[in-house]
Amino acid sequence: MKRKIGTRREVRTESEYAIEVEHLSKSFILPTERAWGLKQAIFNRLRGVKGYREQRVLNNISFNIRKGEFVGIVGRNGSGKSTLLKILAGIYYPEKGEVTINGSLVPFIELGVGFNPELTGRENVYLNGALLGFSNKEMDEMYEEIWKFAELEQFQDQKLKNYSSGMQVRLAFSIAIRARGDILILDEVLAVGDAAFQQKCNDYFASLKGNQTVILVTHSMENVRKFCDRAIMIEGGKIVKEGEPDVIAKEYMKLFS
Amino acid sequence: MKIPNVLYRNNRILLKELTKTDFKLRYQGSVLGYLWALLRPLMMFAILYVVFAKLLRLGGDIPHYPVYLLTGTTLWSFFTECTGQGIQAIVQRGDLLRKISFPKYIVVVSTTFTALINLAINLVVVVIFALINGVEPSLSWLLVPLSILELYALSLGISFLLGAINVKYRDVVSIWDVLIQALFYAVPIIYPIAMVANSSGLAAKVILLNPIAQAIQDVRYNLITTETITTWSYLENPVLKVLPIILVVVLLTVAALYFRRKSKFFAEEV
Repeated sequence: MKRKIGTRREVRTESEYAIEVEHLSKSFILPTERAWGLKQAIFNRLRGVKGYREQRVLNNISFNIRKGEFVGIVGRNGSGKSTLLKILAGIYYPEKGEVTINGSLVPFIELGVGFNPELTGRENVYLNGALLGFSNKEMDEMYEEIWKFAELEQFQDQKLKNYSSGMQVRLAFSIAIRARGDILILDEVLAVGDAAFQQKCNDYFASLKGNQTVILVTHSMENVRKFCDRAIMIEGGKIVKEGEPDVIAKEYMKLFS
Repeated sequence: MKIPNVLYRNNRILLKELTKTDFKLRYQGSVLGYLWALLRPLMMFAILYVVFAKLLRLGGDIPHYPVYLLTGTTLWSFFTECTGQGIQAIVQRGDLLRKISFPKYIVVVSTTFTALINLAINLVVVVIFALINGVEPSLSWLLVPLSILELYALSLGISFLLGAINVKYRDVVSIWDVLIQALFYAVPIIYPIAMVANSSGLAAKVILLNPIAQAIQDVRYNLITTETITTWSYLENPVLKVLPIILVVVLLTVAALYFRRKSKFFAEEV
């Protein structure tokens, strides 16, 4: 089966936009019943069953994000937010339409990508750092800072499987905030750790505001109001409303009333 | 279209770190740890040596037959480890693929690098073993890395091709497991190729067209004894002489192109 592909370009220009998305659509090919394995594939072919159906996740989405803007993307579960983010990050390919990324992009679809429970905290820090594009030398320089911020210094040489999940996320978050890019993409990574650590995270996000292009996917309308310059609401793979954070936050709450 | 660049800074960092992690994790939690990388081929050798050299008395007239056998088993272990891990690389690293964007070939190359490191350690053992057995060191030893490079290119090609198919059809791993068992007997590892040549010249020629057989025989020729039958010496047709190498180059090219085309959808399908 031949699959259509849209375009995703990474450029570096003086344009006022950091991200331009035009007529973006994306469908997933979902296997119906059990279409895994060679046997099933042959059966389906013989029976004339397609073995899959297309699920449209994003439907003709267009928007722009200016450089330095802090934009929130909201919508209920399954509305297509994460897929949109993954396309922006270059993990999924757009099916139709055009995505232009202007500058270097650092995505946090999830904290602690590549974390391995069998490795020590130290080893995981270097591995996770490498995934963010940091060399060993750069990591050496940041190393102390990362552990201090996470407040986990005494656990450095423990295996990660002995960390609590809260500790793991704190460590991951401390590494993540070292990443430097022109555009930051964050998928619900705000609520991390206990109250004290939350305060640290909030300070960090506040420091980003105005200095960096940030796209934030979140379900917390409090955060949308606090950090975002603008918000976009997605519903059923389409942009339903776009504008002031306050307006969008109210609109979002209406979805559930 | 952009050509993936191995020298691109982030890719290099990632490749290094993933290889390191892979190597560490391979023997995680085992008492002997890295020693297993050495012990496995040695144990396989010991079994084969007892069964085939002592009980069945194969390879009686080959000089340094134990070294000859060890070389074969070591290279074969490398090939099976490299392809076995390489084919599964994409599926096993699915978590990474779904969360960050990076050139997918890095995952395959990093796992196969681990096999390459293991081979390097094992070759040290082979060389020590050879010296103890009275093999004279010679300049031709310097040609051995060329054959290993060929074997690696072949393994990488298979890993790219089957690894990409494996993302959708997991049957590939099982098929390959069986196939590699059959392949083992199609390569002159335990039996000397001279034995085949004595009864059927044609069969020997066909066997020698297999790049794995060609590479192993070349290593034996350069490392142990020039009495070894090689593809180069045994086949008369000049095209056939280089056919195994052409096969490797073609396979790697086709596999890499196929992999690159398919890799766009790995994140969704894995």
